[in-house]
Amino acid sequence: MTNPGGKDGGASRPEAMIELKDLTKRFPGQKQNAIDGLTLEIPTGEIVIFVGPSGSGKTTTLRMINRLIEPTSGRIILEGDDVTSVNPDKLRRRMGYVIQQVGLFPHLTIAENIATVPKLLRWKRDRINTRVEELLDMVGMEPATYAKRYPKELSGGQRQRVGVARAMAADPPVILMDEPFSAIDPITRGRLQNEFLQLQTQIRKTIVFVTHDIDEAIKMGDRIAILDDRSHIAQFDTPETILSAPANAFVEDFIGSGASLKRLNLTRVTDVPLVDWPTANVSADRESIRERLLRSDKGSVLLLDDEHRPVRWVNAGDLDRSDEPLLETGLSATPAIEQQATLFDSLNEMLNSLQGAAAVVDQEGAYKGVIDIETIGAAIRTMRGEARQRYRGEEEQQTGGLESREEPES
Amino acid sequence: MRDFFDYLWQRRDHLFDLAVAHAKIVLTAIAIAIVISILVGVLVYRRPRIAAFVLAVQGASLTIPSLALFGLLIPIAGLGYRPVLIALVIYALLPITRNTVTGLRGVDPAVLESAEGMGMGRLRRLLRIELPLAWPVILTGIRVSTVMILGIAAIGAYVDGPGLGRDIFDGLARIGSPTAVDLVVGGTLGVIVLALLSDVFYFLLGRLTTSKGIR
Ligand SMILES: Nc1ncnc2c1ncn2[C@@H]1O[C@H](COP(=O)(O)OP(=O)(O)OP(=O)(O)O)[C@@H](O)[C@H]1O
Ligand SMILES: [Mg+2]
Repeated sequence: MTNPGGKDGGASRPEAMIELKDLTKRFPGQKQNAIDGLTLEIPTGEIVIFVGPSGSGKTTTLRMINRLIEPTSGRIILEGDDVTSVNPDKLRRRMGYVIQQVGLFPHLTIAENIATVPKLLRWKRDRINTRVEELLDMVGMEPATYAKRYPKELSGGQRQRVGVARAMAADPPVILMDEPFSAIDPITRGRLQNEFLQLQTQIRKTIVFVTHDIDEAIKMGDRIAILDDRSHIAQFDTPETILSAPANAFVEDFIGSGASLKRLNLTRVTDVPLVDWPTANVSADRESIRERLLRSDKGSVLLLDDEHRPVRWVNAGDLDRSDEPLLETGLSATPAIEQQATLFDSLNEMLNSLQGAAAVVDQEGAYKGVIDIETIGAAIRTMRGEARQRYRGEEEQQTGGLESREEPES
Repeated sequence: MRDFFDYLWQRRDHLFDLAVAHAKIVLTAIAIAIVISILVGVLVYRRPRIAAFVLAVQGASLTIPSLALFGLLIPIAGLGYRPVLIALVIYALLPITRNTVTGLRGVDPAVLESAEGMGMGRLRRLLRIELPLAWPVILTGIRVSTVMILGIAAIGAYVDGPGLGRDIFDGLARIGSPTAVDLVVGGTLGVIVLALLSDVFYFLLGRLTTSKGIR
């Protein structure tokens, strides 16, 4: 990726949207800095996650970016401009802000809530109306149904969607989000996370996202800043690198056990090669199925229905029990895995089904291939290798090393 | 009973005039008290100590018996309309100020944080967010004040103030004569009717001026 117009030249990383330079905050009457010399570059168009234990200063840092909290010292640079002492209200209209409690205005309708910043910016009424409808559509809420409602008439998940829409209303380049999904039940949270990631592929905003949940950080982040006490950066890197090469014991501790398992959330089924499995139609006769089984090195055959949807796994033993209909033997192959699912979901399905493999289907539910424990093992090895290389590559760049990056592992 | 209704019917124009004068002075006092109280409330609600002090002073003034306050105001404001108006304003302050402070403090901090985070300035937050959200509580204070000073205004006739108190005091002055009871009951009934009307008025006003989202 090139960097046209980049100010610092040379580096291949995208230009920083936000730069925090030696940012410090000491609250009145306290002996210690709450934030202590934080320096960080937030690249344009990426989701950067602040994650860390309670009290580490994530919220304080975020609120210093839009100057809801004024830094004691240090500089904030937005799109190359020093905004440390510009009019804070004007600055805030260039940054969306979403908080855990959402904070919708209860006396205003959903449409009026979303229109807040455009009104502050004195947009024309027509333009505001069009934009409000567009945003409601974007967050998956039918404008005709919801525009005129009041916040109390929405569910928690819907309120958070409106909160996101409101933050994006005037199309700000930056959106700050403080634990936006953490007050929501796990199922809705997962759905909101996916929708938001989907949205981000279209809007490509620069997003600073605070969470205390490392799993959410891994799922949502292009980069993760793991913050220790007083916002000291323990590690700032991609989720892959943080999982495979934690910088220190604090990070390791914070990731917790099961880093390999968590890494499985980073890879989607579409990213790995699927295994060819012997298949047969459910109505095929037992002899031809048995033949297929013998010709393959797999221990079972996957039965598909007439629409090519996976139905059951059957092995030699199942085929011998001739008194039982085929559809009642073997192990169920449903629910099958969709291609957008992560390897983590797949592994979960494999363990549930006792089969040690899971059938993968396309959007119509038709069989695409199989993912098995071997696939997942291979993916883990690849990720580890890549991360290690990336990690070494950066070290070489920093020390000006000229050796090949392709150097084999020893 | 029959006689009393005859009395009301004969004196209907007179009673109506008294009621209008009564309502006028009360409404004027309430209007002045609203302006003062909301201003004071807005100024003090973020400063707990000053707020406590202001509310204590207003609370103390409420405990002065109304007859005494009217008397105290005679040297300053003379007789008639003025001392009554001043006293009514003083009595009306506490409920409105207290409810303004309570209402403004009751606004969800998350709502204020998001308003500030979106770039709404101090004044805009106050006018667009805080006061509208505090309004139902403030309106309750206004309603309480109104009912309270409707009663107190009647006593204003003691210092020659306007309103239904005149008939009440006339009646009291001639206790024993045949019309005394009619005068007192007629005036009192007028005050009660005004109080009921004001309740209906505030109920409708509340409906009209409170957003559906916070009802
Ligand atoms: N207004 C304030 N006055 C004084 N101290 C504060 C203030 N706000 C935060 N702090 C202190 O600063 C530190 C960082 O707080 P902050 O809210 O940023 O933590 P956090 O990482 O967001 O934690 P959490 O995960 O619990 O939200 C804490 O020690 C907190 O007590
Ligand atoms: Mg926080």
